[in-house]
Amino acid sequence: MRLQYFLLTAAALFCIGVYGLVTSRNAVRVLMSIELMLNAVNLNLMAFSNYVDPDQIKGQVFTTFVIAIAAAEAAVGLAIVLAIYRNRDTVDMEKFNLLKW
Amino acid sequence: MPHSLIQSIWLLPIYTLVGAALSVIWFPGLTRRTGPRPAGYINAILSLFAFVHASIALSIGWDNPAYDFSVPWLQVANLNLAIPFHIDTTALAACTVITGINFLAQIFAIGYLELDWGWARFFSLLAFFEAGMNFLVLNDSLFFSYMALELLTLGTYLLLGLWFNQPLVVTGARDAFLTKRVGDLFLLMGVVALWPIAGTWNYSELAVWASSAQVDPKAMTLLGLALLAGPMGKCAQFPLHLWLDEAMEGPVPGTILRNSLVVQVGAWVLVKLYPVLALSQTVLNVAIGVGVITAVGGSLIAIAQIDIKRTLSYPTSVVMGCVFIAVGTGNIQAALLLSLSHALGMALMVMSSSAVVWNSVTQDITQLGGLFKRRPISAFSLAIGGLGVIAMPPFGGFWAFLQLLEGLRVEHPVISVVVILVNFLLAFGFSRVFCHVFLGPTNSFTERSPEVHYWMILPMVTVMGFVLHLPLIMGATQLLPTGSEFSLENAIILTWSTLSGLGFAAVAYLSPSVAKPIKLPSSKVQDLFAYDFYTPQLYRNTIIGLVSFTSTVLNSFDRFFIDGLANSFGLATLFSGQSLRYSTSGQSQFYMMTMVIGIIGIVGWLCYPFLNAG
Repeated sequence: MRLQYFLLTAAALFCIGVYGLVTSRNAVRVLMSIELMLNAVNLNLMAFSNYVDPDQIKGQVFTTFVIAIAAAEAAVGLAIVLAIYRNRDTVDMEKFNLLKW
Repeated sequence: MPHSLIQSIWLLPIYTLVGAALSVIWFPGLTRRTGPRPAGYINAILSLFAFVHASIALSIGWDNPAYDFSVPWLQVANLNLAIPFHIDTTALAACTVITGINFLAQIFAIGYLELDWGWARFFSLLAFFEAGMNFLVLNDSLFFSYMALELLTLGTYLLLGLWFNQPLVVTGARDAFLTKRVGDLFLLMGVVALWPIAGTWNYSELAVWASSAQVDPKAMTLLGLALLAGPMGKCAQFPLHLWLDEAMEGPVPGTILRNSLVVQVGAWVLVKLYPVLALSQTVLNVAIGVGVITAVGGSLIAIAQIDIKRTLSYPTSVVMGCVFIAVGTGNIQAALLLSLSHALGMALMVMSSSAVVWNSVTQDITQLGGLFKRRPISAFSLAIGGLGVIAMPPFGGFWAFLQLLEGLRVEHPVISVVVILVNFLLAFGFSRVFCHVFLGPTNSFTERSPEVHYWMILPMVTVMGFVLHLPLIMGATQLLPTGSEFSLENAIILTWSTLSGLGFAAVAYLSPSVAKPIKLPSSKVQDLFAYDFYTPQLYRNTIIGLVSFTSTVLNSFDRFFIDGLANSFGLATLFSGQSLRYSTSGQSQFYMMTMVIGIIGIVGWLCYPFLNAG
């Protein structure tokens, strides 16, 4: 097990997250993709913390914060999606293009 | 020290300029109630004042050495432009003629413009003219002569355009200004090019310089041609002659000035420039050629006109053509004599024709006739004026033409024949006008035509007196050749050409055996002369066509290319803004993708050196 494998896995996970972020039509799935990207970041942080900074494990502290904030962000995100859904009766991202040129 | 009247001769232009300035008071917009007549009286009085000054100065300065003085005008760097004045007998005589004819023309105008409200404008312009002409003959510098010529060009434009509500007046004034302007501009080229070669613009110094000048003949030829072009336009010579024909649309008293004096200002400059022009034989030949073409063409055209004012405008071109011939062949004295006799005779003829027009309305000589019994004074004026211009002994014109012929007979036999022919044609033309207007049966236009009132008769009779006395004056001032100085043969030939011209016309226009209106065998030739060789069409097809085509092309180049280039920048910005706004698609996912691509791009750019190094 080496650091690079974790980093590569995290990068792959991030890329999958980006792909899901820009291609999903369902707004909830967009939020799920963001969660995926955050988890990829967490994986990075954990890996660096273990291999580079095993004494002070600052990365793990960061991870804790990221998880907490990700939970809050997901809550707010879902609230926004709900708010939009109440008004427009859909969660299709392609219908939310009112603010164009 | 010369007499104080000669020392103060520079006041001559000032008098009339004061009159011109004072006339402003009686513009209809300023003096609304009492009419414009005082403007005319004031200007006439000031002209009389100038005339008295000039004639007394002439009698004092007669045969005295010239009095030179100069007035500083402008001094910059190495250029010192002082206005030099050269007061000799010729200049004083010219001033006397100018102020005298102006005074009489103004008296005539007081009668002629009886029913006109534009006196202030008219008389101020006449005064402006008089000032310009006096300045021209008094100053001794080509540069200031040019300035005076340009002022007179502007004056012609304004005076001709007096009654600007008539469309023909507007086009005539336009042509007069532009045609004379073209000549003046060529003259300016010559004036500017003369400075580095001669180093002076003073006529007297130019004459001294020219007597011993070593110059490139080609340069001198071009320079001389440019100097010739100014007088060519001013004197209404071919091909710059159409303006004088169209200038006949202007008010008549202005025509007196134009025919008798204004065209002479070009001759004056020409005579003064003779030493410079004589440096190149080509220039003299061109002057002779222009003069010959104008003299022959103009006299033929004059015979074919039916407008009384135009039958008199072309003879002005003709006599000026003879002046060109005289200068081209070096007969300066003959040129000055021709100018003098033409100024007086033509003034009288124009006054007489104006008097006829004033009471008979029409200017068409075929509509006039049989006025001799009713209007003997006008008839005698026209007759004596005509005889004074052509070579009829003992009038002034005879001695001028005789002197010209004397100078031509030996060296230029062909041109002397032309002069005799021109004299014949002039005599024919004048006789034709006289027969049409004063003899023959009366016409509906002349059935009840009274003689004009004294304001017009008085100056007419006065000028007639001058014309009749001209030979005596010439005799008293030793201008007449004595018996041994001219050949009797020349005098007889000239007299015969005049008499036969007068006689042929009299027979043709009075004899009932000749059908009226007279038709030439070829109507095309007749139309060619009647329409002035189709000069307007010639202008329109050459110069005007070229200039208007070029300006159209340049205008569209400016509009489409230059403007288009500047506009295209604006349009490109507008278009890019319009099209690039579609990048704001409204899809938040698209924005995210843009961010990701941006991050990838920046990271790639930052990593690029490391990737290469690896």
